Amino acid sequence: MARRLGSMLLTLFGVSIIIFLVLRLLPGNALTSSLGVSAGLLTHAQTVALDHYYGIGQPVIQQYGSWLASTLSGNLGVSLSSRTSVASLVGSALPVTLELSVLAMILGLLIGVLFGVFGALRPGRLVDGVGQGVSVIGLGIPSFVIGTGLVTALASLFHYFPSSESFASLSGNPWLNLQQVFFPALTLSLGIAAALMRTTRAAMLEVASQSYVRTARGKGLRRATVTWKHLFLNALVPIVTMSGIQLGYLLGGTVIVEQIFVLPGLGRLLVTSINNRDFPVVQSVTLIFATGFVVVNMLVDVAYNVIDPRSRTR
Amino acid sequence: MTLADPELVLPTEAEEESDVTARRQGLLSALWRSPNGRAGLILVGLVVIAAIAAAFGGTPYSPTFQNPATVLKSPSLAHPFGTDQFGRDIVSLVLDGLGVSLEIAGLAVLIAGVVGTVAGVIAGFLGRYVSAVIMRITDMMFAIPAILLGLAVVAALGAGWLNSALAIGIGYIPIFVRVVRGPVLALRESGYVRAGRVLGFSQGRLLFRHILPNIAGVLSVQVSLALAWSVLAEASLSFLGLGPPPPTASLGEMVAQSGSLASTAWWTLAAPSLAIVVAVIGFNLLGDGLRDAVDPRTRRR
Repeated sequence: MARRLGSMLLTLFGVSIIIFLVLRLLPGNALTSSLGVSAGLLTHAQTVALDHYYGIGQPVIQQYGSWLASTLSGNLGVSLSSRTSVASLVGSALPVTLELSVLAMILGLLIGVLFGVFGALRPGRLVDGVGQGVSVIGLGIPSFVIGTGLVTALASLFHYFPSSESFASLSGNPWLNLQQVFFPALTLSLGIAAALMRTTRAAMLEVASQSYVRTARGKGLRRATVTWKHLFLNALVPIVTMSGIQLGYLLGGTVIVEQIFVLPGLGRLLVTSINNRDFPVVQSVTLIFATGFVVVNMLVDVAYNVIDPRSRTR
Repeated sequence: MTLADPELVLPTEAEEESDVTARRQGLLSALWRSPNGRAGLILVGLVVIAAIAAAFGGTPYSPTFQNPATVLKSPSLAHPFGTDQFGRDIVSLVLDGLGVSLEIAGLAVLIAGVVGTVAGVIAGFLGRYVSAVIMRITDMMFAIPAILLGLAVVAALGAGWLNSALAIGIGYIPIFVRVVRGPVLALRESGYVRAGRVLGFSQGRLLFRHILPNIAGVLSVQVSLALAWSVLAEASLSFLGLGPPPPTASLGEMVAQSGSLASTAWWTLAAPSLAIVVAVIGFNLLGDGLRDAVDPRTRRR
């Protein structure tokens, strides 16, 4: 456990370096991005003073060091375009993205695992066919097409467009909030459900051919007991692996879906900041996304130990 | 050098064998026999022909020609997928966008493939320390979701044709490194490479004559899957408004534009979406088919 934590911290350290280096490739810098073209009108003395203020003149390693130190102490800097602290921007956006991701993952697991399990019980029958259909749609059609189509369909068929009202927080107006988050989450979940359904179905079929399953059926156990205790629990490892892989997709997906459904989450903040060349925000949001991804991957690793005793021996 | 571990050699021999069969039958005919490969070949063929036609001006109308008389017309014989809000022919726009999309995806995969393969070969073929360093860096790049890495690169370089390709390519490099390194590691210890080493062949000869030709199959599968992902990533970037700027046609941007039109003009959404889906599914199926053709172990499934 301690070793795993150590390697996770090392990975995060590397991730922060990569993000820092990639964003420092920027031909412009904090100065030109906050002043625009008028940066060219500054006198030499003004440029030097502002460079000093933004810390641009320092060597790269020193810039990285001071960025890392202030980030670790919770100071994410100040947004160049809105002049508010990055921490407060992130603080209001993060819960939205978390809610969206969690809901999408729950929906994806529900749809994917249920169709996978019941499809595998009777391959080729109706439930299996519907499941396969969902998986073709979810895997083949990109989320931005599904999302745009869903918005269009809801608006033109039902004149229903909850996103047109300003965003309601979960604590402030839970009913409106759920309506606003449900459809984006559903859009995201289709891709996850598709991958999970295929994995679950394949894993269930593989386990179903084991002799202990036949024995369990033969000695007269209830169908549900065999399905969930003998089949499903033994098919769990590939399902957990696939869930972990889908999280990367989920993080990328929130960026797109928040854009379509106008949700004020981290993804939308990221795209807006990229367009404004708002450097400190881009840097922080990217780092938060990557941290979330690394931490969840470690949790998936831990989950293996819980569900598969064989992996504990290492 | 110790004797070869039999478990390490066995799969390699199986691969050699499959490679021989594949070569005897021809890769194309092996592809054609797998249902996935056949569907993939047909779809990718259609997409590539359409894109080449568009590149040489073979679209039914000029993609930039704005006709005020035909604004948002529904599909007809003259315009099979209707016209957009500027009166442009949607089929022509989609073909043009498909061409741009394939160009960007192709360049992205070229970048990722070359950098990733070179790094993977070095990591698999050269010493332990070089390998450790490369694999650490790869792990760290893997820790950032590829699309996010792409967004960071676009944030740094700004939107544009070349920058899109770079952004998408960089995100895919770690996958190529991993895919290439495994087989190179196994092949380095295989019987015939060891025999070659005993015969005094140079490292270069071993690498280029005996190892690289044998990873061509694995690599071709990955190239096809990477193209599918890149087309999708390119469309996603331009959907977010971070692709090449307007005069360049772009499928993702067409989908984004259609958001406000689609409730009255469904074809503005359907046409570019269909093009993206056909291209993505085509390259994915082609990749699956190539895998079946190259690796006999998956053929049964």
